[in-house]
Amino acid sequence: MREHIAGGALTETTFLVLLSTYTPNHGYGIMQFIERETHGRVLLGAGTLYGAINTLVKKKWIAPFGDAEPGSNKKTYVITDLGKQMAEKELNRLRELYGLASRIIGGEPK
Amino acid sequence: MKKRVFRYFFDFTDGQEKWLNEMAAKGWRLVKCGQLTYDFERCEPGEYEYAVEFVADKSYAKSRDYKAFLESMGYKTFYKNVYVGIFFGIKWRPWGEGAGQIATAPGSLRKELIIVEKKNDGKSFEFHTDLTDLLTLYRKIRMAYFWYAGGMFAFALLLLFYAVRTNSLYGVGCGTLRGARVPVAHTGFEDFAKSPKTQGRS
Repeated sequence: MREHIAGGALTETTFLVLLSTYTPNHGYGIMQFIERETHGRVLLGAGTLYGAINTLVKKKWIAPFGDAEPGSNKKTYVITDLGKQMAEKELNRLRELYGLASRIIGGEPK
Repeated sequence: MKKRVFRYFFDFTDGQEKWLNEMAAKGWRLVKCGQLTYDFERCEPGEYEYAVEFVADKSYAKSRDYKAFLESMGYKTFYKNVYVGIFFGIKWRPWGEGAGQIATAPGSLRKELIIVEKKNDGKSFEFHTDLTDLLTLYRKIRMAYFWYAGGMFAFALLLLFYAVRTNSLYGVGCGTLRGARVPVAHTGFEDFAKSPKTQGRS
């Protein structure tokens, strides 16, 4: 998963995976979280999710959390401080974008 | 009720996936797959859905990790081959990723694909929902095809070159090993050919 270098924007997949790991979560939980919180607008494929998790682990934005549940092979992940920084940066970027768009499209006086 | 079908797919991802889904729509569920066979048993038409994942670029450890991940998502998985063979084998995959460049059997060789089965729940069964992810995947598959097609082309060219060369230079039967060796014996290699080391050969 590549991010836009110039704008610093995260892909939607990346951002959503980061948000879903604020509380420790496993693959299936992440998929359900995203589906639920976007009201089914974003449905993450298992292949894409696997790639996204591995990329984020490699970047140290999320990290494996504890041991896998006994008797199952479900690995759990949790967001790191670096990941939180990136998510906050993205939130600020979106706020700025939201302000701009509201001003232009919504005609808000600002 | 069970049945066994013999099949091989050159269009190993999309073509195979489409066929498995057609079988499932007709009420046949995959229970086992061999190198060229598929065993099915009866199920409700449309009860299951299939996706075929390309993992030949991954090392065996990584492909198993992915398989375990898919199983933890609640899917059933099968390993499936693209490469056909029955002996111990080792293969170089120049397009592979890291340790995925070397495939051995037993190991990742003949486990180039993962067939994933999901119980149909009305939701989409797209595996790659991100555009960059999809592009990366197709790039990998294209590289695999490219190396195999290129390899075969190079091999054909070599054979052709060999046949033409032996034919035009020596006027011997096209490409037989004996034909190629006879003239070599007249060009200073006679002693070598007669040396005790090579006596046993003919």
